[in-house]
Amino acid sequence: MNMSTANVTLFDDEFLKKLEYLNIISKRLFAGQLRAERRTRKRGTGLEFADYRAYVAGDDFRHLDWKAYLRLNRLILKLFEEEEDLRIYFFVDSSQSMSYGDPSKLDYARRVCAALSYIGLANLDRVNVISFANGIKSEMPPQRGKGRIFKIFRFLTEITPGGETNARASFKTYCTETRRRGLAVVISDMFDGNGFESALDILRHFRHDIFVIHIASHEEIDPMLRGELQLVDSENNVSREITITPSLLAAYRAEFSKYCEAIESYCGKYQLGYARTVTDFPFEELILKVFRQGRFLK
Amino acid sequence: MTFLALTAAQAGLLAAITVALIIGLYLLKLRHRRVLISSSILWRRVLDEREWHSLWEKLRRIVSIVIAATIALLIAMSLARPEVESLTGKNERIVIVLDTSPTMNTNTSDGKTRWQHAAERAKSLLDSGGPTTEFRVLDTAEVTSSAFTTDRNEVRKLIDAMAPKSAEPQFPRVDGQLSQVYFISDGVAFHDTPSVVKRISVFEAANNVGITAFEIRSVPSTPLGYEAYLEVQNFGHPTEAGLTLSGPGGQRVNRTVRLATEQTYKEVFDLSQFVGGGIRATAQSKDDAFPMDDVAFAYLPIKRKTRTLLVTKGNRYLETALKLDNYVDLSLTDPANYRESPNLDAYIFDKFAPNVPPARPALIFGTPSASWLKPAEGEIQKPEITSWSENHPIMQYVSVHDVAIERAARIDAGNLTVVAASKQTPLIVVSEKPKWVMLTFNLESSDFPFHIGFPVFIENVLAWFNRDQFALKRSPGVVDVPLANAQIRTIDGKLVSSEQQLGKTIFLANEPGLFAGAQGDTRVHVAVNLANPRFSDINRSVFRTDRTAAREQFWLRRELWFYMLLAAAVLISIEWFTYHRRITL
Repeated sequence: MNMSTANVTLFDDEFLKKLEYLNIISKRLFAGQLRAERRTRKRGTGLEFADYRAYVAGDDFRHLDWKAYLRLNRLILKLFEEEEDLRIYFFVDSSQSMSYGDPSKLDYARRVCAALSYIGLANLDRVNVISFANGIKSEMPPQRGKGRIFKIFRFLTEITPGGETNARASFKTYCTETRRRGLAVVISDMFDGNGFESALDILRHFRHDIFVIHIASHEEIDPMLRGELQLVDSENNVSREITITPSLLAAYRAEFSKYCEAIESYCGKYQLGYARTVTDFPFEELILKVFRQGRFLK
Repeated sequence: MTFLALTAAQAGLLAAITVALIIGLYLLKLRHRRVLISSSILWRRVLDEREWHSLWEKLRRIVSIVIAATIALLIAMSLARPEVESLTGKNERIVIVLDTSPTMNTNTSDGKTRWQHAAERAKSLLDSGGPTTEFRVLDTAEVTSSAFTTDRNEVRKLIDAMAPKSAEPQFPRVDGQLSQVYFISDGVAFHDTPSVVKRISVFEAANNVGITAFEIRSVPSTPLGYEAYLEVQNFGHPTEAGLTLSGPGGQRVNRTVRLATEQTYKEVFDLSQFVGGGIRATAQSKDDAFPMDDVAFAYLPIKRKTRTLLVTKGNRYLETALKLDNYVDLSLTDPANYRESPNLDAYIFDKFAPNVPPARPALIFGTPSASWLKPAEGEIQKPEITSWSENHPIMQYVSVHDVAIERAARIDAGNLTVVAASKQTPLIVVSEKPKWVMLTFNLESSDFPFHIGFPVFIENVLAWFNRDQFALKRSPGVVDVPLANAQIRTIDGKLVSSEQQLGKTIFLANEPGLFAGAQGDTRVHVAVNLANPRFSDINRSVFRTDRTAAREQFWLRRELWFYMLLAAAVLISIEWFTYHRRITL
């Protein structure tokens, strides 16, 4: 576990101010309990016109379109979009493999999660942060309002890496307990022995809007390994003796690319948001540029 | 397979230790470094896919160990110097004896000589055998005798440096039990060789007309008259030969004779018209293959009598001997009337000696009292001659072993040369400078004048004093001149390098020629001639056919260890290349 971030300020004030003006774009509209700055599918008392429908008994007369009645001699009701708050679920992978890299993937994931949480809180969305590995390790209750960001920071710093990744079981457990749909942001290195597709299928099944943030380290993309090695899996301690040859390294790199392409292809197929980054990529640029390019922020 | 440096058991032990060591080191080397990775999912996929499709992945470790063990075994076993008879031949010793007798200079029909053919055959022998075969080269002149060596280039250089010698050939002592002996010869000089010797013949029949004898001798009936005896023999097909005798003054005698096979032509030539000096005889014939015996030399002494003064009160034996000597112009005087004269060549003092040494050489009998002579220190009764020097010119052909002496003076020889002595005193002493000879006994008190060697002795002494002599007869090769520290020149005056050996001067003369050795006033001529029918008969070979089968040649020219190290080096290079590309471990 890399606890070096525990006492480190994740973001300075200047960075937080920049994030304040960013907003999260949800690809779908979600129903909410409180008014917020999000449009939902539910028609309500908002100011922005949404649609017409035929008047039925009991509808509010104030929303009848009288000009249409004079033209068509039919009672037609104007519908308005109701602005509601958004639920954002941050699934942070805290398996042992996330401690790998310099800086570690978990540290990078903490900062991404903190930044997006702040943006969500600033836009009056409900933010949930869930730490998972081979199950739900810890969960933070829904937070709303910018003032709760420090609570989120504290929660994130207390996350420790450990355990094997089993995203499917983790998501299934969480989704069955929390039925409310929302934006599920999965921040992970995507190394799951059971395959990430089945895990994302769970989120899709519960009709969440999904955004995958795939974090990789340079050591994984282009490992600088030579000679006779015993490779030990950090999650399950399974070891394997191999001789690193240039051709083997090339094969690994090709396999890594194939793996990433498979995830990206899956996300594209089901219209899931996907962004891949490496741990030494400047964090500020990632937030301000990569997410904008990936249509995550506007 | 056999091993030259180790026993089979030692070699086996070495191989076992080497293999065990390599496998041990390899296992140590194969202990993998532990590296923690985030996840092995991708590595597992890559490895499963590669190993499933690649047999090489499964065999790689075994192949790597086998290569490493092979390299180590090749290096270790090369130390044991293995030998595989089918590849490199067996370890054997070959002695090559090259006939360097004069007949090997005979020309052959292809323009070469028998010697050149012999050298080629010897070199082809070097190409046979395996890399461990040791060679030794010997000649029949006892000049070349190499040690056993596997270095063929060294032996080739040695053969190139060899040449036929004119010395009397002699088959060297070789051990035919421990080595194979090959004798390359024309079979002329050697008719009997040890049975273990394998003969390689370079004989080819050829024509030769050679001078088998040539000498100048006195004519007994004519004082200072000389004649030349020439003997020529035809050893080839019937042919016509041109004979020539030429002298230093341009005198020349020619003969043309028809010679049948094996026919000998002998003639005595009158040299009365020749002036003193070197005489050259030549024999010319068509297709003569052996030029060495086509020329011969002799020396014609300059004709002059020795003007001798005998100073005596009367000595009948001495006077008679001198008067009978055709080469002596004798004068007589008694001691009282003795006067030195510049017109004299030598003095003979009988029991008398002048107070000052004469300017010319002197022969002194008795031990007269004179300051320049050794004084008598007593008298020895009946001394017995126990030692004498036959090599000194004055003692040649003189036997004194049975000379009886009644009494002799005892003297201290000092730095004089003693040529005859008893146990008690010197009996004949010689002074080189000034030149004189003294007998420490009187002729009357011995029977020396009655001996057949006495006139020879007188003649030798007078000749040694200053008379021109016939040339000494020598054969080509190492020539000795019975003069210490003599300077040797050819008849043309060119200096010949020489060495001193036991009071003689020796030099090398491979070709016939006339040489002059000078030491102070003393001058000796040496006629070096082959003049030997045994050598001139170049067709008298017993090696008519080559009975020796060709030796087996092997394609590996070096010992097996060389190729093993070479293979190890190649394998190391391959291993280095494949290891760095992680093809092997």
